[in-house]
Amino acid sequence: MNPAAHIRNFCIIAHVDHGKSTLADRLLEMTGTVTGRDLHEQTLDQMDLEREKGITIKAKAVRMFYTAADGQTYQLNLIDTPGHVDFGYEVSRALAACEGALLVVDAAQGIEAQTLANTYQALEHNLAIIPVINKIDLPNAQPHVVIQEIERVIGLPAGDCILASAKTGVGTREILEAIVRQVPPPTGDPQAPARAMIFDSHYDPYKGVIAYVRLVDGSLRPNQRVLMMQTGVTADLLEMGVFRPGMSTIDQLHAGEVGYLATGLKSVADCRVGDTVTAAAGPAGEPLPGYGPAKPMVFAGFYPVENNDFPLLRDALDKLKLNDASLVYEPESSAALGFGFRCGFLGLLHMEIVQERLERDYDLNLLATVPSVEYEVFTTKGEILRVDNPADMPSPDRIQEIREPWMEISIVTPSSHIGAIMELVTSRRGEYKKMEYIDEGRVLLQYAVPLSEILVDFYDQLKSRTQGYASLDYSLEGVRPGDLVKLDVLVNNQPVDALSLITHRDKAFYQGRELVQKLRSLIPRQLFEVPIQAAIGSRVIARETVRAMRKDVLAKCYGGDISRKRKLLEKQKEGKSRMKRVGNVEIPQEAFLAVLKL
Amino acid sequence: MRPWSTPRAAYLHIPFCRTKCLYCDFNTYAGKDRLIGEYVAALISEIERRAGEAGKEPLQTVYFGGGTPSLLPLTAVRRLLIALARACDVAPDAEITLEVNPGTFGRHYLEGLRALGVSRLSLGVQSLDDETLRRLARTHDAAGAIAAVGLARDAGIRSINLDLIYGLPWQTVTDWREHLRRALETGPDHVSLYALMIEEGTPLSTLVARGRWSVPDDDAVADMYEAALPVLEGAGLLHYEVSNWARPGHASQHNLTYWRNEAYLGFGAGAHSYVGGRRFWNVKPIEGYIRRVARRADLVGGEELLAPDAQLGETAVLALRLRQEGIDFRRFAERFGVHPLGRWGPALEELAGSGLLTVGGERATLTDAGLLVSNEIGTRFLP
Repeated sequence: MNPAAHIRNFCIIAHVDHGKSTLADRLLEMTGTVTGRDLHEQTLDQMDLEREKGITIKAKAVRMFYTAADGQTYQLNLIDTPGHVDFGYEVSRALAACEGALLVVDAAQGIEAQTLANTYQALEHNLAIIPVINKIDLPNAQPHVVIQEIERVIGLPAGDCILASAKTGVGTREILEAIVRQVPPPTGDPQAPARAMIFDSHYDPYKGVIAYVRLVDGSLRPNQRVLMMQTGVTADLLEMGVFRPGMSTIDQLHAGEVGYLATGLKSVADCRVGDTVTAAAGPAGEPLPGYGPAKPMVFAGFYPVENNDFPLLRDALDKLKLNDASLVYEPESSAALGFGFRCGFLGLLHMEIVQERLERDYDLNLLATVPSVEYEVFTTKGEILRVDNPADMPSPDRIQEIREPWMEISIVTPSSHIGAIMELVTSRRGEYKKMEYIDEGRVLLQYAVPLSEILVDFYDQLKSRTQGYASLDYSLEGVRPGDLVKLDVLVNNQPVDALSLITHRDKAFYQGRELVQKLRSLIPRQLFEVPIQAAIGSRVIARETVRAMRKDVLAKCYGGDISRKRKLLEKQKEGKSRMKRVGNVEIPQEAFLAVLKL
Repeated sequence: MRPWSTPRAAYLHIPFCRTKCLYCDFNTYAGKDRLIGEYVAALISEIERRAGEAGKEPLQTVYFGGGTPSLLPLTAVRRLLIALARACDVAPDAEITLEVNPGTFGRHYLEGLRALGVSRLSLGVQSLDDETLRRLARTHDAAGAIAAVGLARDAGIRSINLDLIYGLPWQTVTDWREHLRRALETGPDHVSLYALMIEEGTPLSTLVARGRWSVPDDDAVADMYEAALPVLEGAGLLHYEVSNWARPGHASQHNLTYWRNEAYLGFGAGAHSYVGGRRFWNVKPIEGYIRRVARRADLVGGEELLAPDAQLGETAVLALRLRQEGIDFRRFAERFGVHPLGRWGPALEELAGSGLLTVGGERATLTDAGLLVSNEIGTRFLP
């Protein structure tokens, strides 16, 4: 009999907070993979940040054994998926390694935008979907409303839904049984040359890059020499194993199984996610259909507040990159901020997480510039430039056309908030596409919106205007031409590169005025009057003035006042050393953050 | 001997007041007049004890500050001056200043002071608006203040200073200009203008914090300062220090000691002394001070020792307050062995380029534009 017949590979799709991690914990417990004593909450979420933010950042895979009602023991591989929209790309990688998915929906909250998006992706991958209505123990649970939503919106029969409470353990056995019954066993040729798809990796200082793989065909053994089919890199497998949930070595990986390979490679770039691992001796003819590298969508400059921390920042980024293939960066310099790195991220949360890790794990104090998207700039000379930094935008007379990425966004919200959302999206240049009722009280709204418009503060606004009820998902629609301009800020007649931004012409006037007003209140008074101007090209569209400081000198100064006076000046001097100096103007950090809040 | 290492100025602190003004955070006390006798005795003993600190040069200036020194009986002033003359020697033409509050003295008292050698009176007029004076808990009114100047003149006091405060609650630039004009009509030899500072812990700060009183904002206060400049100049007074104006020959020699950062001795509760790079101050409470003097205990409540670089920076900061004298290159070179152009060349050049300093061959001085930002300019000279 084909041993793969007893393997089930599945993942869990759930909205943030709908209980995915808790459910995973119950599955681990009921299958005896961990005992209740070992289990601390959210076993799968290992990183501090994940625990704090209650989200899963990196996909992981755990092997469990379950003896089903039919008396047979099955190998269940749970491939964890990230729960945030920025990591949609990682979700799709995880889905490609599975044959089934648990769709977990909160019995009180119902379906959210992102759950829908991930479910559609799973359906595209032909995954068997098992709907689980979680948290039925909550007093405000409405499982039957949610079941109807699932039937109406996703088209899964109501009778297939499992009612569960990951908290109390209700429904866990039913879920395990459904996995065995409904998720098809992997298909693949155990006799063919080995082909394993890398769906994730992390760097271990002793074992090198650890590749998380789904073995599709053939088998692999430790000490075997393997070949990465896309990069052409070879490596000797130091070790292989599975996560239970700690790393546990095995001496063979069979077709259909999920596990890890310790490659000894020093760089995740040599062992790319999406690549196919095969045996160096007798390799497979064709790699598996992989996927391209994650494409960064959001760009920002990271600068150390202390200029001499630059080497530290570089080391820290190098180390982060070992475990985060989607992070890209290159050195850049700013007249205002000194030396730093231009970094590319999957999305805003990704950016936030990277910044937080750099600051927390590497004790760096960073200044991040306004996040930007990548623009396609068609010049009058017929070149096409890709610009992800406003500082690199050519002058208006050299530009024929600028194109910017647009996103398709889906918002699920109580219908009472439609007006507020409409207003928000319209103010962000959004274009209405369609509206669909999920049930009597909730709707699914779809819009197209320029990515640049949702980078900053969109999600927060969405949440605050809907009392936290709306959920959001987005995916790239494509690029569209736009009437975009570069807004420059001049402080004391000198352009400050780190304060420039690219915006729509219709908004430039308002934003320019807003920005100079904010800067006026943030830039402390200096020795002299400091004009602050917003300009498009050479045209000044807004101007404010920071008056020279005055009153501080008027205090009397006699014998008993001299010490106090000197100490005041020393403090004043010290305060200045933390500012960035542009020309002869001291600009505090907060000023650079002001552009983020426009 | 050099004036930065040998003190030629003495300050005597008289920490008594009839009432405590609402804005005042000085080391002064109301309702302790009964201690005046004991305090004067303690001061005399302190002067005797510290005779050795004075060096061989006679004192060129003596300053009775407060508080309200005019609460001292003439006999007390006399005994204190005698003690100083014995302990430190006082030059025959020394400038002897006494701070007085209008309403605390009569003609006879002033004549007595003059006879004792007091050559300068500093009148705490503060405002010529009765409503303001009442609100601030001053014990005199505008008419009393004007009368006090007349008394001083009649008594033949050589030099008369008026202290005025601006930036007072509800004050406008127009009010201020008017009050200043009226004050100048009395023909003072010297004027000190003080921007009202809302000091923590004063009743005024509480009133302002609670929104009961409104004071002009920083810009309005600076506007008042600027409005005062032409008025004072028009009255023939030379703006010789950031907050001080004088007719020729009437600059305060005692205060110049502070602005030149030269040595001085301070006697009395909380008084500061500065000798040879060491700045120290006596304990502040009157009773504690008296007790320590009586027990011959250490009077020092705190001190700081300034490294040469800090002394240099501090001296430059203070020197810039002097509008005509400024940072005198030769004086600095002689005192510190450092030429200001060598030490601060680029900063001086930049500040001159921005129109904030005038840098010549002998000195660097603040321009009018630099005046209101002199603190910020000062930070450039600190180590």
